[in-house]
Amino acid sequence: MSEGLNYTFLIDTFFIALSGVPITLLVTIVALLFALPLGFLLALTRINQVPILNWFSRIYVSFVRGTPIIIQIFIVYASVPLILSLFFEKYNININVYNINPIWYAFIVFSFSTTAILIEVFRSALSTVNKGQLEAAQSVGLSNFQAYRRIVIPQALVVAMPNICTATVNLIKATSLGYAMSLQEITLKAKVAANVGYNYVEAYIDIFLVYIILCSLVEYGFKLYEKRLRRYKYVSA
Amino acid sequence: MEKYFDISYIWNSLPVLLPFLRVTFMVAGLSIIFGTFFGLILAVMKLGKSKVAQKIANFYTTVLRCTPSIVLLFLVYYGVPALADNFGLYLHDLNTAVFVVITFTLQFAAIMSEVIRSAYESIEKGQFEAAVSVGLSPLQAYRRIIFPQALVVGLPNFGNGLIALLQEGSLAYTIGLIDIVGKANLIIAANYNTHALEIFIALAVVYWVISILIEKFFGKLEKVFSKGKQTINTN
Amino acid sequence: MLKIKDIHKSFGKNEILKGVDLSIDKGDVVVILGPSGSGKTTLLRCINFLETADSGKATFGDLQVDLHDASKKDIHTIRQKTAFVFQNYNLFNNKTAIENVTEGLIIGRKIPKAEANNIGKKALDKVGLSDKYDSYPSLLSGGQQQRVGIARAVALNPDIILFDEPTSALDPELVGEVLTVMKNIANEGTTMLVVTHEMSFAKDVANRVIFMDGGVVVEEGTPHDIFVSPKEERTKKFLKRVLPEDYTFYI
Repeated sequence: MSEGLNYTFLIDTFFIALSGVPITLLVTIVALLFALPLGFLLALTRINQVPILNWFSRIYVSFVRGTPIIIQIFIVYASVPLILSLFFEKYNININVYNINPIWYAFIVFSFSTTAILIEVFRSALSTVNKGQLEAAQSVGLSNFQAYRRIVIPQALVVAMPNICTATVNLIKATSLGYAMSLQEITLKAKVAANVGYNYVEAYIDIFLVYIILCSLVEYGFKLYEKRLRRYKYVSA
Repeated sequence: MEKYFDISYIWNSLPVLLPFLRVTFMVAGLSIIFGTFFGLILAVMKLGKSKVAQKIANFYTTVLRCTPSIVLLFLVYYGVPALADNFGLYLHDLNTAVFVVITFTLQFAAIMSEVIRSAYESIEKGQFEAAVSVGLSPLQAYRRIIFPQALVVGLPNFGNGLIALLQEGSLAYTIGLIDIVGKANLIIAANYNTHALEIFIALAVVYWVISILIEKFFGKLEKVFSKGKQTINTN
Repeated sequence: MLKIKDIHKSFGKNEILKGVDLSIDKGDVVVILGPSGSGKTTLLRCINFLETADSGKATFGDLQVDLHDASKKDIHTIRQKTAFVFQNYNLFNNKTAIENVTEGLIIGRKIPKAEANNIGKKALDKVGLSDKYDSYPSLLSGGQQQRVGIARAVALNPDIILFDEPTSALDPELVGEVLTVMKNIANEGTTMLVVTHEMSFAKDVANRVIFMDGGVVVEEGTPHDIFVSPKEERTKKFLKRVLPEDYTFYI
């Protein structure tokens, strides 16, 4: 291995790693689409102390934040097929659970964990919006729903944006654990390519680069969007 | 036929798993010590006057923030010995734990540099000015006035960093470290891959409990250290 | 006792101090007046090395220093001889009132703790806070915090106390208590250099008033000179703008 880096392999594998980006992004986007609204709703149950849901959200958040994602993946990957096969057996559905595309498991795991993270993000963002804002909105005749939609949420979103950005970057990084479910994303693709000639150093340099590029772009995108959202802050300053 | 899910496996695996927390904690502890030290250096670079040092420290933090732990872990695991080869050092037989500690030191340093930087910046400049104006030396001002206040601000973030480190550390099994996760996988293999779910649940419970304990501990610690702050809430 | 010669200071392209001279004798109470942005605060901060002047000399007793590149030792010496009262108090948030006052004594001057506590208590008594020794700043009102700030300065028994707009962060109803405390310590013969907008304090307590504008000293003299017979047009204009409104408040 002391002959130095294999540059041809390094370059070829970079593109193999890059070809995993669509799957990574798909999982990320699906997880966000699921987690953003659900996380927000559950955050509202925390803020408004909705009896049972509030309690449920707390435990849910605590569990996700308290356990490594890899173990969440293990649990989902081990339990969902068990549950499904019982279910399929009972209703005589003729699907082999072991033929299910792993991306479905990825959707489940990452939606599940991202929702919990976003509950906390939205909860803290909502609590920074002055209560007077809601009261003022209601005093000019907006309904509770309208007040949230038009006054509270836009302000909370500005506060939440940096944390949503962090959550998204962490989510992208976490999808690298999809290998445990044989998900064909960046890491697994490059790793498989490396298996042939033991070019692991090169493969991991490629994976490393792809993630840095991907995450930097996402961070940059969020920064641009934040700037646009922040407009009203400049006016008031 | 055997049951798919047998809760007794959870209970029975715990006594086997728990001793391996020693490895988990040792690796995490070393990473925290080295990472905090390295993070302090990075924070000093970020807060210092040198533009070059700032750029380097910020670049380092951005890169580390964008790198999944597992990628960093393998990069270190394969990369460090390969790099050492160039200098005639043979590191391929190094204990796996060393690579794990290097990885998480690098990562924790990036986290800590941000924790330290933001804690420091949260303390108004006036505190330092007042301290030197009553005749304290700059070093005394940092030690007696700035540091105790920054500590309170940084403590919750430090706690969150610890929990994050502990969780990311669960990936160490992928390069063959027999910590609690590694042991869990050995148990499952010994059971011919049956009852994996129960073992994983046991693992999850262990991590969950530790995280809650850390959180509680830091909550308490914050109260103890927040001299002069405890009264704000009642105002 | 304190002489400042030809001090200059710019922030970026903004020249804040354009050659200011200043001379203060023992027992003087000197008030610096002037519109905001005239460089009053910067002057004070340069004297205590909270800002580094671009050029200028200071003579402190028999110690002569260059304000631009004084040695660490000289800076330390001068800070030991002076005390500073800040506009926004800057009490140490992690220390009680008494600890705020004794910090400089115990750590900076190595005075034994018991003795420092005695000095500190006396200083707090002097500013009327005998019942607040063990309160943290967050429990005190703005006026009380600033009185601790003054006690912290007084306790050091410095050659001079520099006051940087000590009342401008306070609610109007709290200004009085702080000015009274300042008046009391002035009457004890403390040398003071005060930047303030409180005309009543300048008139009643100061023995010398300096009017600054645009980074230079425009005029200086006794309170009578400045308030009753100002010579410079800029001084007259400033007083006209400031006084009517002030009179309604304080007289």
